[in-house]
Amino acid sequence: MSLPIVASAVGSGLEERWAPSSDLPHALVLAVLAAATLGLALLVLELVRTGRRTRVAVSLVLVSGAAALALLVTAVLRPVRVHERATELGASVVVLADGSRSMDLREGDGTRRQRLEAALTALDARFAKLRTRRLAFGRGAAVPLDVPSRGASSPKGPLAVLPATSSDLHAALESIVDGSGELPRAIVVVSDGRLDRPGPSELEAQLRAALGGVAVPIHTVYVATDDPRDATLRSVRIADAVVAHQPSTLTVEVACTGGLECDKLPLRVYELFSDEPPVERASGVAHVDSGRAELTLEVTLDRAGKRILEVELDAPVGDTIPENNRRFITVDVARDRVRLLHVAGRPTYDVRALRSWLKSDVSADVVAFFILRTRTDDVAAAQDELALIPFPVDELFTRHLQSFDAVILQDFDAEPYGLSVHLVRLAEYVRQGGGLIMVGGPNAFVAGNYASTPLAKVLPVGLEGIAADRAVDLASFAPTITKAGRRSPVLEALLGLVGEGLPAMPGTNVVASARDGATVLLAHPTLRVASGAAMPVLALGEFGSGRSVALTVDGSHLLQFGTFAADAGGRAHGALWDALLGWLMRDARFEPAVVELDGGCIAGLSATLRLRAVFGDEPVDAHLTVASMGNGAIVRTESVRLDPDAPATAAVRLGALAPGGYTATVRLDHGGGSAPSRYDFACEVGGDEWADPRPDVERLRAISAHTGGVSVDPADVRSIPTPSASRVVSERRVEPLLPPWGWTLGAAVALGAHWIARRKAGLA
Amino acid sequence: MLLTGTRELDTRRKSALARWSAEVVRRTSAPSVLAPRSVRADSPALIAEPFVVWAGAQAPEALTERELLGLKRYFGLGGVLFVDELEPDAGAFLAGAKAELARVMPDLSPIAIGEENVVFRSFYLLRRAAGRVAKAPKLEAIVRGGVALVLFSPNDLLGALAREAGGVHPFEVVPGGEAQREQACRLAVNVAMYVLCSNYKDDQVHAPFLMRRRGEKK
Repeated sequence: MSLPIVASAVGSGLEERWAPSSDLPHALVLAVLAAATLGLALLVLELVRTGRRTRVAVSLVLVSGAAALALLVTAVLRPVRVHERATELGASVVVLADGSRSMDLREGDGTRRQRLEAALTALDARFAKLRTRRLAFGRGAAVPLDVPSRGASSPKGPLAVLPATSSDLHAALESIVDGSGELPRAIVVVSDGRLDRPGPSELEAQLRAALGGVAVPIHTVYVATDDPRDATLRSVRIADAVVAHQPSTLTVEVACTGGLECDKLPLRVYELFSDEPPVERASGVAHVDSGRAELTLEVTLDRAGKRILEVELDAPVGDTIPENNRRFITVDVARDRVRLLHVAGRPTYDVRALRSWLKSDVSADVVAFFILRTRTDDVAAAQDELALIPFPVDELFTRHLQSFDAVILQDFDAEPYGLSVHLVRLAEYVRQGGGLIMVGGPNAFVAGNYASTPLAKVLPVGLEGIAADRAVDLASFAPTITKAGRRSPVLEALLGLVGEGLPAMPGTNVVASARDGATVLLAHPTLRVASGAAMPVLALGEFGSGRSVALTVDGSHLLQFGTFAADAGGRAHGALWDALLGWLMRDARFEPAVVELDGGCIAGLSATLRLRAVFGDEPVDAHLTVASMGNGAIVRTESVRLDPDAPATAAVRLGALAPGGYTATVRLDHGGGSAPSRYDFACEVGGDEWADPRPDVERLRAISAHTGGVSVDPADVRSIPTPSASRVVSERRVEPLLPPWGWTLGAAVALGAHWIARRKAGLA
Repeated sequence: MLLTGTRELDTRRKSALARWSAEVVRRTSAPSVLAPRSVRADSPALIAEPFVVWAGAQAPEALTERELLGLKRYFGLGGVLFVDELEPDAGAFLAGAKAELARVMPDLSPIAIGEENVVFRSFYLLRRAAGRVAKAPKLEAIVRGGVALVLFSPNDLLGALAREAGGVHPFEVVPGGEAQREQACRLAVNVAMYVLCSNYKDDQVHAPFLMRRRGEKK
């Protein structure tokens, strides 16, 4: 603690001044000075009240008293001479620029981004003598403004960060005051005011929470003021919990701004698929009143997982932002229960085992149809004595097909029961996200008349080139586990129970090679396909948005009952089928890798996917493919190395993508390939940021008003007050004027002289 | 055919098992082994297939420890046992079999099942349990988790099914004659279909149809 008494410049920036000893608290110094002043005043009062003394005597008492008090004070304060080298340091100021996508909306002759960049330049000039940190806000914590954050395709110029898909000023303010760095003396926010947080209600409380009690003025610079002429899908909302096969309410808010005339605006909702054209799920007409309309539509989605919906608005003429008439939303569809259609060509032990397992799964809702009687069977009874019902093939495969999550065709001949005519629809069902399992037997695969049908194209094994008389091989064999099978999460539980060996199967359906992209988990030990490879016995495939499984044997029941099964208590059958159905339903337990979008996707700007291997214990190459939904056109392929032990994910930059839905699939290369993991996502031009293009100047003004800042137009940046500079000492030397005993001695002598003077003047 | 202790099935009824298989193949789409074989309760071969018939005319000998273990493992894996009384008037085998099976599954006891049970509509719509005699209209069953593990037939079903070379039935069926024999065949087919399809005909999708057909028959 030092109180400046005198300050003066001393050569080369070194300043000299007097100060009391540094070991004295400030309060004590003040108390001493106050006591001395009081003492002097009492002395004067005493002289006035006792009167009738010579002027010389009074002067002697007064001077000696003052001297004694002064020396007494210096004895306590022990003055020192301080030599200091100091500099003036400009105040710390944070300039927080809006890094969101709404900055790319038009404003006047340019864009809001251009006005923001001009404002930043003006602020640079205004704060030239201050220490300014330039940050951007958008999603999460504030990020440095001048360092490209995500890739080379980031915009150039002062705002060199990729536009964010949100405008979270709240999180940015929190990161500034919570950080370990120096607290700024002022924050300048440059924005259009269309913020996600803080919202318009209870703004002051939100600001207080964001700033954590730190008093810092927030000045605002509004870069947009005009409401554009625009018809927009302001919001598209769907219930948090969307359940497959059950209708959900989609609420669409439509708005018209900037004086655009709107009345009845038609809109449609589509569901996107990987290789199939979009399917319309709902439509309606929004009746705009006072610039706004809300429309509720009922949408039923049948496939679980992440589904992409496209909402399209027919905007009137004069709309200046057509990009916000089309929105893509990702809907996370959950399953109440997995709905399965189990169709079996005849009752066998294999059918029995599968049915028992399916019915024991409380999460599965099974609709089963078994062919119990063929046309050649002699039932020896009238029809009304039978408990048999007609197989409703037409009804099942037309009206109800989409209500099932997966279809299991077990040893079922397509021809005699009229399924052949529905195979086109069944193949389309798979491509649109349905699951299919074909289980072997005398009436399956080629023997079941599926060769050269549309369904054959969505099976993971080929059926071409196999003569009818060799469609089934009755020789007993034990399937071999392929390298891909050993490394697949699909067989992990089964192999954990049975080890390397599998029971001998009573023959197999003969199939051709696995299709491109299919994964063979089990193979025949002796039968070969045309290429010379082992014939697939269990194969997994991805077709469009759906998946299919081919199991060419009808002996999986031997994993449930029999001498082989007994060692594992019959649990191996359940382990296999749980995995097959789980994989079919995209259960995360059976996905070898995880793919996710990093920070959303803005059409036209670089997007990043993050990849992580979740199965296996060795580093592995991952092959990523990104394809457009609808036509399946591949837009990007990339290979990266994934390390299961590394906590970080691998990032793959996709470059700029056009608006629309995309399917990313990643396949791990274990030497034998792996079933792909898949991730659907959408890219929008503006997204939420353009859904409401109106600037919100009032919000910026309110933020400034609540924090003691000012709100200005970019042209008035000069009116923003600059905080005063700070003084920083870089060198300091202290010299005592006298040693402490010298001051004490002087005070004692002065007190003695004063006592003598008082006695001579007749005072006590 | 399940064998326990030292007893074997009488020669004339051995043909019943082949007849049973043949009727299943002739009447339904289900495959079946046309030459059924015998298996001992204490043999590892017991768990080769999940359906076994146990029949007798006298009280069975007490199950040995090995036989008990074999049957416990069989039921643990989900096997189904059909127990047939060949001397319904005496009923000693059925009573003894129940007592022995109580040692295998001490926590479960038999219950009577009639036409409301899925066994009576797994292929044919049946109103009562048939056999060589018509002692009782119902079967009994030991049920776990809604699934019958053991079915008890009190009416000598094998006696009604037995057919020797030349198509001669060695046992007369009373009191219903050949019509009753046909009903016994149908019950045998239903039991086989129950083993293969479990409670398939209990599925909700079949319910309205079967209720309507039952109503029409009444």
